[in-house]
Amino acid sequence: MTRVLGVGLLTGWGDGVAALPDDARRAAGGRPIVPLATPELSGDRFRRATRECLLGVAAVAAALRESGVDRAAVAGPQTALVYVTAAAYGASNKNFILATSRSAARTEGGPPYFPYTAPSALPAEVAIEFGLTGGYVILVGGAVATVDALWQASRLLAAGRATMALVLAVETFAECADLWARGRWTTPQPLVEAAACAVLSGDGEDVAYGPGEVSTLETLAAQRAGETLACAPLIGLALARAGAMPSARVTGSWRGRRAQIAVGT
Amino acid sequence: MSGRTRPVAVIAAGVATPLGLDLDSYWSALCTGVDGISGIERFPVDDLRVGRGGEIKKLRASRHGPLPRSRASALLTIAADDLCARAALDAEPARIAVVVGTALGGVEEGERALADGGARAAAASLYDAPAHALARRVRARGPVLTVSTACASGATALGIGADLLDADAADLVVAGGYDALCRFVMRGFDALRSLTRERVRPFDRRRSGLLLGEAAGLVLLARDADAPRARLGRVLGYASSSDGSHIAAPHPEGAGLEHAVCGALGAAGVGRDAIDFVSAHGTGTPLNDKIESAVLRRVLGPRAGAVPVNSIKGALGHTMGAAATLEAIMCLLGSRDGVVPGTLGFEEPDPACELDVCGTTRSARTRVSLSTSLGFGGCNAALVLEGAP
Repeated sequence: MTRVLGVGLLTGWGDGVAALPDDARRAAGGRPIVPLATPELSGDRFRRATRECLLGVAAVAAALRESGVDRAAVAGPQTALVYVTAAAYGASNKNFILATSRSAARTEGGPPYFPYTAPSALPAEVAIEFGLTGGYVILVGGAVATVDALWQASRLLAAGRATMALVLAVETFAECADLWARGRWTTPQPLVEAAACAVLSGDGEDVAYGPGEVSTLETLAAQRAGETLACAPLIGLALARAGAMPSARVTGSWRGRRAQIAVGT
Repeated sequence: MSGRTRPVAVIAAGVATPLGLDLDSYWSALCTGVDGISGIERFPVDDLRVGRGGEIKKLRASRHGPLPRSRASALLTIAADDLCARAALDAEPARIAVVVGTALGGVEEGERALADGGARAAAASLYDAPAHALARRVRARGPVLTVSTACASGATALGIGADLLDADAADLVVAGGYDALCRFVMRGFDALRSLTRERVRPFDRRRSGLLLGEAAGLVLLARDADAPRARLGRVLGYASSSDGSHIAAPHPEGAGLEHAVCGALGAAGVGRDAIDFVSAHGTGTPLNDKIESAVLRRVLGPRAGAVPVNSIKGALGHTMGAAATLEAIMCLLGSRDGVVPGTLGFEEPDPACELDVCGTTRSARTRVSLSTSLGFGGCNAALVLEGAP
């Protein structure tokens, strides 16, 4: 089975499961978006990094702390990185489009550095920061894509291509609040910014990946955290660990598809 | 589960490219050296340093209704029409999966959404929107995955598609990649000074950069034992890796790419001596081709000078998310017909790229092929493919 060694969790409510309210909707008080503060990371290397990149790095650092795993232990080709997001590239894409439109006024410092517009920028910063050179998968989608990501990580463990795997999800909404407002009938609110990372190990076998009915953890994560898109299944894992559940069936839904996976916690 | 991958069959393929909007015209154009590069006409480029690329001038209407407004989805629809004309998707819809790779998703719809304020364009700008449009088109109701390992996405998608079959999460997988040319990406690469004002010359001494192209490429995958005998070939192995070294440039020694290639060979259960042909990433940038050559020389060892290598980016431009899938399809068609398409633009060998680069189309028996891919963010992927006997 795939085992979760720890989950690092940052949300608009604060750090970790303890910061989650009992009822996110009530706690949001009508706010459509609950933003997450940008972590302050030192080092010149991050001077051009986007907010979502910094959130990704901070979530992985938190996950390693939660797991009791040293940075040195994940560096190298034996740790896989599977990153998933539905929309965290939106801010950089929007900035670049607006800064380079034909009618745009010249902005100070020019447009954002183009490679940071790609979804691959965030996991790249994580890989550089932690020295990860193993299996590498980037998926785009909501919560169901995170279930797919947990499965992909399990595959890499099962195939012996990794001894440890990081499944990382980041969602930011604030910069594209106007765009999200247009589609508010398609996405539950509040939209809560989050960055979450699960550290996985084990043999990766028997994870019961496939279609599945909504799980208790999916319902609980939505109730306590709000709509966090791809981060939701990882919040479910964090809740399972906080509740001392020995194993967890997490589910996720997006665009009419729901999938499940079972892992040891 | 061992590290070795169970091979999956590639039953059929479908494409939409600047060289042709179906598999036969694509393949014929590759073999005869047609140049798909032209001046871009669909959107303004007059303020850019370079305004050329592999643009598809006219999209063909779908037999199943109007094309989607999103160009990315339209390219996928045309490729899917081509695929479905060649092979039936003969499985329960819930057992048909879609896995597609992209570097840009529906970003052009994002440009539109910011310009006109429409809600529909805002929803379509999410990078996974075109994959779901494709799933509706092929009536797939199984897993729908969007992969975005930058310009390695088309290879990663085939690898994950093979994984879905191996895990019995689907019986058929429509896998591939796509990307459409738009101002967003042209402006981005223009700003990076990555685009050449000359022609694209992979592995040539005079190479000076890449040009972008737009395309979609899809394959139909099935478990080997379940697939019909009539097929294009098999995916024997796949692996990915991260460089962990730079946000945009490849690892200076190509360590990540080498790790991916060795992983793919291991997954395929074949040694380097089995490789008959290499479809290189071969963008035509000074750095990429030099680093990739060094990796291939290390991987192929003493046979490095004898294994034919090509890059089709001189003909198509760099089609980003579609590139690796189109290259995989090219490998299988080449194996079927006993030819290696030439590398358009390659005329003067570069001593820093000492490989057997095919400048012109040549006859060759190529049963097992290696296809390599790299992308922004240190994404690397490699596929090992086998042509049908």
